[in-house]
Amino acid sequence: MKKIKKRAFFALIIAFSLVVGMAIWVIRLWENGSDWVMLRANQSVFNEGILDVGTVKDRNGLVLAKAGEGVFSYAEDESVRRACLHAVGDYAGNFGSGALSAFDYKLAGYDFINGVSSFKEEGASLRLSIDADFNTVAYDALAGRRGTVLLSNYKTGEILCMVSSPSYDPNNPPDVSLPQYEGVYLNRALGATFAPGSVFKLVTLAAAIENMPDLNERRFYCEGSVNVGGDTVTCTGHHGEQTIEQALANSCNVAFSELSQELGSEVLAEYAEKYGFIDGLSIDGIETAKGRFDKAERGTSDLSWSGIGQYNDLVSPISMLRYVSAIANGGVAKEPTLLKNGKSGKSSLMSSETAEKVSQMMSYNVSYAYGNSLFPDMSICAKTGTAEVGGESPHAWFAGFLDDDKNPYAFVVLVENGGGGLSAAAPVASRLLQAALG
Amino acid sequence: MEGLFESLSSIFTIPEFTGTIGAFLTYFIYFSRLMLPVAAIAVLSRCVRSMLREQYEPEVWGYLDLPDGSRVPLRHWECTVGSAKSCDVVVRDISVSKNHVVLIRDEFGNWGVHDIGLNDGSGVNGLVIGEKGAALEDGDSLNLGDCDLRFFNLTEEERGIIADRRTAPGREISPFNMFFYVSICQFILALSQVYNAQPEHKSVIAMSFTALFAAMWLYYIAMRALGRLGLEVEAIAFFLSSLGLSVTSSSVPESLLKQVFLLLAAIILFVILGFWLRDLKRVKATRNPAAFAAIALLIINLIFGQEYFGAKNWLSIGGFSFQPSEFVKIIYIYAGAATMDRLFRRRNLIVYIAFSAICVGALALMGDFGTALIFFAAFLVISFMRSGSIGTVFLAVTGAGLAGFLALSIKPHIAQRFSAWGHVWEDIYGKGYQQVRAISAAASGGLFGLGAGKGWLHNIIAADTDLVFGVLSEELGLIVAVCAVAAIIVLALFTVRNASQSRSAFFVIAGCASVSMMMVQLGLNVFGSLDILPFTGVTFPFVSTGGSSLISCWALLAFIKATDTRKNASFTNRDPDKMRDYNEFSRLYDEEPQQGDFVDDEQLSPDAFPYGQDKQDDQSYMEQPRRNLFDRRGEKRRPLK
Repeated sequence: MKKIKKRAFFALIIAFSLVVGMAIWVIRLWENGSDWVMLRANQSVFNEGILDVGTVKDRNGLVLAKAGEGVFSYAEDESVRRACLHAVGDYAGNFGSGALSAFDYKLAGYDFINGVSSFKEEGASLRLSIDADFNTVAYDALAGRRGTVLLSNYKTGEILCMVSSPSYDPNNPPDVSLPQYEGVYLNRALGATFAPGSVFKLVTLAAAIENMPDLNERRFYCEGSVNVGGDTVTCTGHHGEQTIEQALANSCNVAFSELSQELGSEVLAEYAEKYGFIDGLSIDGIETAKGRFDKAERGTSDLSWSGIGQYNDLVSPISMLRYVSAIANGGVAKEPTLLKNGKSGKSSLMSSETAEKVSQMMSYNVSYAYGNSLFPDMSICAKTGTAEVGGESPHAWFAGFLDDDKNPYAFVVLVENGGGGLSAAAPVASRLLQAALG
Repeated sequence: MEGLFESLSSIFTIPEFTGTIGAFLTYFIYFSRLMLPVAAIAVLSRCVRSMLREQYEPEVWGYLDLPDGSRVPLRHWECTVGSAKSCDVVVRDISVSKNHVVLIRDEFGNWGVHDIGLNDGSGVNGLVIGEKGAALEDGDSLNLGDCDLRFFNLTEEERGIIADRRTAPGREISPFNMFFYVSICQFILALSQVYNAQPEHKSVIAMSFTALFAAMWLYYIAMRALGRLGLEVEAIAFFLSSLGLSVTSSSVPESLLKQVFLLLAAIILFVILGFWLRDLKRVKATRNPAAFAAIALLIINLIFGQEYFGAKNWLSIGGFSFQPSEFVKIIYIYAGAATMDRLFRRRNLIVYIAFSAICVGALALMGDFGTALIFFAAFLVISFMRSGSIGTVFLAVTGAGLAGFLALSIKPHIAQRFSAWGHVWEDIYGKGYQQVRAISAAASGGLFGLGAGKGWLHNIIAADTDLVFGVLSEELGLIVAVCAVAAIIVLALFTVRNASQSRSAFFVIAGCASVSMMMVQLGLNVFGSLDILPFTGVTFPFVSTGGSSLISCWALLAFIKATDTRKNASFTNRDPDKMRDYNEFSRLYDEEPQQGDFVDDEQLSPDAFPYGQDKQDDQSYMEQPRRNLFDRRGEKRRPLK
C-alpha cells in the first residue's frame, strides 16, 4: 500500500495543471477582458452589432448620445448634433474617430470586477472634453465651408472644441453621395492632412532660432521675389529690409527661403519630425493622420518652398494645435485629449527660451500685421497661413493661442480653399474666442 | 403523466410581481447575485476544512514480528512484504525477494497471504502458500525464504481502542451546514432563474430546483439515519448539480424535466454502486463480465451509432438516446482497478492494457476524440498506479502521440479544431465561433456575473454542454465559475489524502482514476472553450446538460466515496466496528461501545453474544455463518522444502 499511496500523488499533477490553466485564464482575462467584451456578437454590449450601452456627454454634462435596450438617441438640439457629429460619431460606425467608435470600450463600462454589468444596465457615462456650445459657435462660424476648427486648453491638453465640416444631422442622414458631402465621414481635425502654407514658418522659425545664433541681428532683404537654383520664389509683397520679427509678420517668403537654404533640408526635416508633424499622434488611442515633409536638395527652390509650408508639405490640424500649444506652454506640449479631465502626458518640444521668442514674434504678428480689431482685449499670438493648392483657391489657416493664464486657449482654424488666412480663417477664430471668453 | 405535470405546474405557478414588491424583488435579486459567490465559497471551504483538516488517526490491523525481534504494525488491509524499501513491511534478507508476499485482510478481520513472486520458497507454518493464497491465523508463522516471521492479529482490547480513536467526520464542520449552504446557492439560483425566465418556463424551473432540493435533503436524512457523517463529496456534487440545473434553465428549459429525472436516477445509481462497492469479493467476481459488457456496448455503438458533429458516439434505443462511452467510463475504472494480490501479476496488466486499447481504439474510430483522451488519461493513471513505472507512462504517451497524429490526419473535423487552436479570434464566424463567444461572454460577467438567466451565451449552440464555463462566468461570475473548477480539485485532494488510509489498492486506484477522469474532462471542457486547449467538445462534470454524462459522473463519484475510510463516514464502507460482531473476538463485548467512549475492561463479559441487537443495515450478514475468504485448509498443500 505504501507504493500505491505514493503513486496517488500522480492525480495531483493533473490537479496542478488545472490550477495552472485557471491561472492562465485569469491572467489573460485581466489583460484582454476589455477587448474581448467588444466582440460584436456580445449581446451585453451590442445589439445586432450596434453599440447598445453607454452615454456620451459633453464637458458640461449635456447628453450627446445615449443607447440602451436596443434604442439609441443623439443630442436634442439639431445644431449641437451637427456641430458634434465628428467628435461623437454615430451608431452606424461611420466615424472611426468619433467617441461612439473610438471609445466604445469605455462606453461598454467594462471593468475586471463588474464585467459589463451595472445595476441600471446603461453602461458607462463618458464625458468628452468638448464643449457643445463652442462646437456650435465654431460650426456656425464656418458657415458651411469645408474645414475644421480646434480649440484646446494648452495647460491641460483638453480639446474644448473640435468641429469638422461638412457635417449633417445624424437623426436625418442625407444622401452622402451628393458632392457637398464628399469626405463627410472624415474628421478633418484628426484624420486629414493639408498643405500648411505660412503657418509652417513657425517651424522654420524655431529651427532658425536654435541653429542661427545671429538671427536677431540679421536683416533680410525682400524685393518681391528671389531666384533660387534657376527658379523664382515669389513673395506676397515687396518688404525691403526686415528684422526676423518683421519677416514673420510680413510672412515674407524671401526671408524664409533664405533661412531654409541656410538650415538645409536635414535640419528642417528633423524639426518637423521632432515637433510631431510627421509620425501622427495618438489621442486617447485614436491614431491621427501622418504628415509629410520631403527633403529637397540644397540650392533648389523646392527646399525654399518646403520651409515655407508648400512643396510637398502636409500637416494635420491636430498636430499644428499641439505645436502652438507647446509654444504657448513654454515649449512643453500637453498631449491633446478628448476626455474631460483626461490624463494626458506631456513632451518637451523646445526650450522655453525658443518658445518665448516664437511667442513674442507671434504676438508681434497680430499687433503689426493683423490688427487687434478682430481680437479685442485679447493678448493673442497667432500666425496665418494661405496654402496654395494647385489651381484651386488656397487653404486658409489661422493658428495661435491666448497668452493669458486665465484663458489658456490654443486654437487652429482651417478653411479648405477658403482664400487668405487672415480674411477667411481669422474671423472664425475670432468668433470662437469671443464666445469662449464669454 | 400529463395530468400530473399539469397539477404540479399549477402548484408552481409564479405570479407576476408589480409595484413595490416587484421593485423590491428586482433589488433583492440583484443583490442576491452578490451572495452566490459567498455561498459557493462557504460550501467549498467547509468541505475542504472538513475533509482535509481533520487529522487521520493511523490505523493498525495486525502485527508482524520480524526475525530481528522488531514488531511491525500492519496499517492497511493490503500490505506488501519484501526486501524492497517500498514494501509496507521490509524484511532485510538476501533470501527474500523485493516484493515477496501480500497480506490481505478481509472485512471480517481474517487475514490471508498471497505469494506474488510465485516462488516455492514461501509458506505458512511450513506449508507452501500456493497460487490461491493461504489463510493467516493469529500466531501463525510466515516463512519467506530463510526467514520466519510471526503474524499476530489484533487483540480485542487493541481493536476497541483503535475503533474509538478512528477519525469520525463531522466533528469540526457539521454536514448539515454544508448542505445548508448548498441550499442557499440553490435558492439564489432558483429565484433569479424564475425571475428572469420566460413566463412559460417559470413553473418548470421552480419545480426542478424544488425537486433537487428535496432529493438532496432526502439523501441527507437517509444518510444520517444510517449514521453516516461524511457527506462532503455529495455536498460538492449537489453544489455542481445545482449550477448545472441553472445552466440548463438558461439554455434549454424545455429539457429541464428530463434533466432532473436523470439527475435523480444518477443519485440512485450512485447509492447503488456505493453499496455494491462495500463487498470487494463481488467486485472482483464481476470485473471481467463487466469488461466484456463494456466492449460489447462499444461494438454495438460502432455498428449502430449515430453521428453528431463528426463523432459517432450516440446510440438510440426506443427513442431514448445516450452516449455509451459515458457508461463504459464507469466499467473501465471498475475493471481497471485491482487489489494488491493481482497487481503484481504481469498477466493482469497485459489484459488491462488490451482492454484499454480496445476502449480507446473504439472511441477513436467513433471520432470521439475528447472522450478518447479522457480514457487515455485514466489509463495513464491506472497503469502508473499499478506498475509505478514512469517509463511505461512515457511509452504510452509517445504511443498515444503517434496515434493522435494519425487520428488528426484521418479525421478532418479534429484537425480543424486543432488548426483553430490559438487562432480563434481570426475566424470569429467559423472555427472560432463558439470559443470567442464563450470568451467574450465570460469576460462580460466580471467577478459576480450578470445574474442567473440573464446572459446571452446560452443561446449559442452547445452552450449547455461545451461552453458551460462561459455560461457560468457570464451569468454567475468568475468566482462561482472558478469555484466549480475548484470543487473538482477538492475532490482530487480528498481522494489522494484518503489514499494514505485506504484499505484496498482497488479503492485507491479506482478513486484516483475516477477523479483524474473528471479533472481531465473538466480541463478539456473549460480550457477548450477558452482557447487555452483545442476545443474537443466534452462535458463539464456534473454541470453540463446531458443524462449520460451526469449518470457517469455520479457513478464515478461512488468510487471516490469508497476511498473515505473515516469512522461512520461513507456508506460505501462497512464499518469495521460493526464487522467485529461477526468476529469470534467480539463475543467478549457486552454492549457495543458508543462513539467517544473508551472500552472499559469491566464491561467485557465473555458470555454476551450480541447478534440480536445488531444494526439494521447489516441484517443480511447476521444470518450468515462467519465466512473466511482465505480458509483453504481443506486443500492439500505441499510442505516447504
